[in-house]
Amino acid sequence: MTVSESEVITFIIITLPIYMAAFTLYAVRALKGPTIPDTVLAIDAMTYDLAAFLVVLAIFFRSPILIPTAIVLALWVYALDIYVAKYLESKEMGE
Amino acid sequence: MAVPAGLDWVLVIIGEIMIAVGVISDLIAAIGLLRFPNFYVRLHAATIGTIWGAFVPLIGAALVAAGADFLGRYRWFMAGGAVITAVLILILGPAGSHALARAAHRSKAAVVQPKVVDHLEEDSRAPSPKEEGGEESEAEVKEGGEP
Amino acid sequence: MISPETLVFGVLAALGLISMVATFMAVMERDLLKAVLFSAVQSTAYAFMFYILMAPDILLVYVPVAVGLYPAVILFLIKKTERFEGGEEE
Repeated sequence: MTVSESEVITFIIITLPIYMAAFTLYAVRALKGPTIPDTVLAIDAMTYDLAAFLVVLAIFFRSPILIPTAIVLALWVYALDIYVAKYLESKEMGE
Repeated sequence: MAVPAGLDWVLVIIGEIMIAVGVISDLIAAIGLLRFPNFYVRLHAATIGTIWGAFVPLIGAALVAAGADFLGRYRWFMAGGAVITAVLILILGPAGSHALARAAHRSKAAVVQPKVVDHLEEDSRAPSPKEEGGEESEAEVKEGGEP
Repeated sequence: MISPETLVFGVLAALGLISMVATFMAVMERDLLKAVLFSAVQSTAYAFMFYILMAPDILLVYVPVAVGLYPAVILFLIKKTERFEGGEEE
């Protein structure tokens, strides 16, 4: 008894609009966030969820070669976090 | 190499349940991030979006990829990459949020709104009498360390 | 059942709208730090567009440049000079 392909694909297609709605709401918060940390927090959460969505889409497209992009995305957005945190703290120190 | 018969369905169903939980909490985190009043309250929603919205569906996607036969032999590569991404997010997400919250508190970029008492602000505002030497001097060194 | 082409074009339309709004706000913003972050939103949307157009090799180069190195360089530059464009407001 093998796994039916259409069942998995149908499940992923059902999850797609919910993911896109969540990304749109994250982007709205990232674009209108009143302060700097709000924007960075929204970009952060949006990109981690985007990494999860990329792996789910790789199952949908049936191409395992798309996987390493998720690792790269997660790592570099963490770097963006650290840059902005370092900028804010260095400004507080009166440099 | 093949998974025993029947077990692949177990993997796929568990993985789909985890992906569904991740999607729902993802939407909840987005709505919370949009509707909460200020930065320190929004951190809670961002935590939901990082752990329940990214870590859990990545593990679920790894299980689905391990169980799905139609992906071919390279599905093990896919499952391994998903697990590596999940572990990276589990480590990096809280670290990034913590660094950001610390920077926002120290630079006063966001107001601490539902506040009863804020000992961290009092400590950073009144610098270092002699009596609590260790931590305070260490913080001083760390602050003054960068030119 | 949605065909993959319909999916690709729908997602591309949504991402194009998000990235266009982000670019417009990055151009019109006077706080340069916020402009850098809006540019990061646009970079994330473009990364997803590259992914969905089946170009993971370009994505592997685009993400370190546009999400990692470019905000780092611009933030270093803002730290050395001044944060607000125009200069009359602190």
